[in-house]
Order: sequence, then C-alpha cells, then structure tokens
Amino acid sequence: MVTSKKGLYVGRNENKKFNRTLLKIKSDTELKFGLTGLTILVFVAVFASLLVPFDPYFFGPDILNKLGENQHILGTNHLGQDIFSMIIYGVRTSLMVAVGSALISAVIGILIGGIAGYFGGKIDLVITECINAFMMVPTFFLILLIIALFDSSITNVMIVIGLTTWPSNAKLIRAQALSIRERTYVKSAVAMGETNLQILFKYIIPNGIFPVLANTTIGMSNAILTEASLSFLGLGDPNVISWGQMIFMGKQYLTSAWWISTFAGVAIVFTVTVFYLLGDGLNHVLDPKHKSRKGA
Amino acid sequence: MKKYVTKRVLMGVLTIFVVFTINFLIIRLAPGSPISTIMGKDNDDPLLRAALEAKYGFDQPLILQYFIYLKNAFSGDLGLSIIYNKEVLSIISERLLPTLLLVLTAALLAVVIGTFMGMYAAKHEGSRVDVFFSGISYMFNSMPAFWLGLILIIIFSSVLGLLPSYGMINSRTSLTGVDYYLDVIRHMILPVSTLVLVEIPIYFRIAKSSIVQTLNEDFIVTLKATGMSERKIFNKYVLRNAILPTITIFGISMGYLITGVALIEIVFAWPGTGDLMLTAINQRDYPTLMGIYLIMSVSVALVMVVVDIIYATLDPRIRF
Repeated sequence: MVTSKKGLYVGRNENKKFNRTLLKIKSDTELKFGLTGLTILVFVAVFASLLVPFDPYFFGPDILNKLGENQHILGTNHLGQDIFSMIIYGVRTSLMVAVGSALISAVIGILIGGIAGYFGGKIDLVITECINAFMMVPTFFLILLIIALFDSSITNVMIVIGLTTWPSNAKLIRAQALSIRERTYVKSAVAMGETNLQILFKYIIPNGIFPVLANTTIGMSNAILTEASLSFLGLGDPNVISWGQMIFMGKQYLTSAWWISTFAGVAIVFTVTVFYLLGDGLNHVLDPKHKSRKGA
Repeated sequence: MKKYVTKRVLMGVLTIFVVFTINFLIIRLAPGSPISTIMGKDNDDPLLRAALEAKYGFDQPLILQYFIYLKNAFSGDLGLSIIYNKEVLSIISERLLPTLLLVLTAALLAVVIGTFMGMYAAKHEGSRVDVFFSGISYMFNSMPAFWLGLILIIIFSSVLGLLPSYGMINSRTSLTGVDYYLDVIRHMILPVSTLVLVEIPIYFRIAKSSIVQTLNEDFIVTLKATGMSERKIFNKYVLRNAILPTITIFGISMGYLITGVALIEIVFAWPGTGDLMLTAINQRDYPTLMGIYLIMSVSVALVMVVVDIIYATLDPRIRF
C-alpha cells in the first residue's frame, strides 16, 4: 500500500503534501471524531424541519408529558412543546451563534494582530499592551452587562461575543506576522514596490492564519457555552429556540420534569465537545512538532 | 525583577482603566439617556434627576464627564442601587463573603485534585487510567457548569435525597456553633463539587502536558544516565519544572471561576454576588450590575498580577 502510494506521487509535491495532510487527519483520533460530529450537526441543522416529529413552536395540549408519552420521544415542557423537536431546532441557534461570533472575532483579531505584527515598533507595542489588558477583562460579565443594557436578540449576542473575544486571535496572528515579515518572499514583495496593505493581505494573513483557525473552533465552543449561560440568566432571545433557554425553563420543573433541562444540556455537551475536538485535532495536524502517539 | 513587577503592576492598572472606560462607554451607548440607565427606566423623579446630573456633570463636555466618572468610581462610589436604595459597593461587599467561600474552596480542591490526576496520567501515559481521565476531562470541559449543577441536584437531592439543593443554611432550624458550620458545609458540597468538576480538566491537562514535556527534556535523560532513581528524578526535577504552568493557569482560571460561580450560585440559590446579579438583571438594576462587573474585573486583574509576580519569584528565567 505504502510503496504504491510512494510510486504514484513522485515529483508531485503539492499532491504529496495534500495526501500527507489527509493521512494526518486520518491518524488523528480527535480530528476524526470532531469532523464526524460536525457533519452530523450540520446535517441536522440543514434538515431540521424534515427531522422534527412536531413543530417546536407549537404549544400543544400535551403538557409535561413524560418520555415517550403521546409519541413525544423526549417528552414535552410546561407549554406543551416537544423537547426532541426543540433540541433539533436548537442546533441551528447554536451553530449560528458559534459561526457568527467566531467570524467577527476572527476578522477583528486578524486585522488588529496582523497590523501589530507586520508594522512592529511603536504600533505593535501599543496594540500588544491593549490586547494584554483586554485579555485580563472577564469577558462574560462584560457580555452580560452589554446584553442586559442593550437588547438580547440573537444577533446582538453574536456580535457582542465576537467583539469581546478577538484578543486571543490577535495575539496568535501577531506572533505569526512577526516571523513571516522577515521571510524572503515578503522582503522581495517590498522590493517589488507592493504596498503595505497588499503585503498584509496577500502574504502575511494567508500564511499566518492556521493557528487562528484552530483557535476559532475552540472559540466557537466557548461562544455556545456563553450563549447558553446568557439564556440561563434569562437574557436569551425569546424569539428563537435555544438549549440554554430550555435549561432555564426546565429549572423550575427540575423535580417534576427532569427531562426538559437534562437533554438540552446533553446537546450542549455534545456540540461543545465536537468543537473542542476539532480545535485540538487541527492543532495537532497543523503543528509539525506534534507526533501522534498511539493511545495518548 | 523590580522592572518586571513594575511592568505587571502597570499592566494591571491599565486593565482596570480599560474596564472602567468600557463601562463608561456602555452607559453612553446604551439605548435611552445615561441618566435613565443610572436611575432606572421606570423612575422619573425630577429631584433625583437633577442631583444625578450635577453629580456626574452631564452638562459638561464628554471628556470632562469621563474624568468625573473616574473620580467617583475610584473613590469607591459606584452609585446607588435602585432596588435596595443603598450604596452599590456596600451591597456587593455584604455578599462577597459567601462567594469567596465557594470560589476559594473550589479553586484549592480543583488545583490539588486536577494536578494529582495529571501527574498520575503523565507517569502512566497511554494506560487505561490515562485514557479514562482524558476522556472524562473532555466531557467535563464541555459542560455548562450550571447544567452540571442541575444534574447533581436531580441525582443527589431529588432522587437520592442526600444533600440540600439550595441556600447556605437550613432556614427552618436555628443552629449554633459546630452544628451551624456543619450545616454550611453540607450546603456547600453540591455547589463546590460542581465547580471542582468543571475546573479539574484545566489543571489535569496542563499538569499532564507539562510533565510529559519535561520528561522528554535532555537533562532528564542525563539524570537517568547518572543512575538516579526514577522517583527522585520525578520529585526533585520533573515536578519542580512542570508545576510552574499550573501557577499561571491558576490565575487565569480564577477569572473563569469568579465568572462561573455567579451561575452556580444562581442554580443553588447561594446568597452570594451571583444571586445579587440575577436580581439585578431581573429588576433592571443597572448600577448594581455595573458595580458587580467593575468589582469582579478589578479582582480578576489583581489576582492575575499577584499570580504573575509569584510566578516570577519562583521561576528565575522569567525575570527579564
């Protein structure tokens, strides 16, 4: 198997590199589980309306049904909504918050960190100190305060999480930019007369983006947890179905209808684990120093 | 060393400034006038309005308002709570003790248990115990702490009926002396366990990875070649080097813990700052909410600076 592969790809460096990456993905358990989980989540999110046995927004007559009662697989809540259907729809909310906030956080982080690392000197000093100061601020309280004062729509939640979590991304890309700007291809681009902006977007950012990618997936899991925590405090968007809100509502019925809170939490644990696994797996694959050990 | 300490302290001061500036901006940007944010939306007392306007200098230019705000805040005046009609600072400080009790107990237990688990897993890397610990740590790392708290209530209070699910003391009995403290401990078990379970993975991971890393260092190989016993190498050299990252993580995770504990207090109706926060959210008591945000941020900054200085005194390599 190995020899035939070797024979096939002689002299085709790009292909070889791609295959090596594929091989790494296959050998990394965390990444494999993460990708499988992500596929399931995306599938569920896309086909949510086909997968649900009941309309999750329908307030039915079956109030606080037990598991399996009246065809409600996971029971119903105090308003007669089907828990299983709500969990399916909750995937959409969670993924939306995760992706939306991660994008905002990545864009801001990449721009600020890239500028700091590429230009260096005084700009870098000021930005780095600001990043360090921002990293010491407990973000959750800040997010909570903003959401409480402004409006708790899901878009707001997404934006605020994005606006408060960029410093770690900025730090990563800054470190990358510091080393990339010393490379020959950047120097030759400078010699060719390319502008700073061109260099930043054509060379620095594309080449330094990988650590940010891994960090972003971990940021996604944190975003999901943050949204859940906000909803649990009653600061969720009342117009969408979210797992955090289900836990919040189920809290009052904890002793009589344990299933409301429990299954929503299981869904959160599953989704967050998937993103953690993806992040760790990406870190392993992208870090050449990491050798995958069996059983570790 | 002196230079490093000064740098860290300055950093902490800068952070506190950032925190206060953000707070100032939030009051400005929030929908409605800043006065109604501070006064409460349903309050329209012209006397109070005039008094607040004078106090915060709302007729002055923005930059001056900022300095007035800073002056008030740094003299400990965080405003008046709408609901309790008391100084925000005094309300929060009344509630601080129960919160600290939870935070410190949980932090100490988590750091000890997590580090020992990490040490064991690193020594027996690849063993069944290691795989089990790693898997479990993934799971608890992904758990919303408040949900774990609810599950523990279902199991230990609702189903088994072993432990109390809410409060700090049993209000039906009036216990004194040792019995009182035992009752508090009984009420602490579930909230503390929740926090510890969520915190353990952080310490487990850092302890395990830094021990594994240290074990692969060249000087360990050299020591092995000298014939020193494995146990001695581990206790005397590996542990000392590998425990340092744990200290940094301790500082960072205190930040998470101070945040996380608020939610746990709400789950267990523990009479701390988290409980206060929930009331403030529900009643739209913004001054209290902002006060909690400010005090928590300042304490996190303080803890982090102290931890960094401790780290620097322990690790000579960092004093640059």
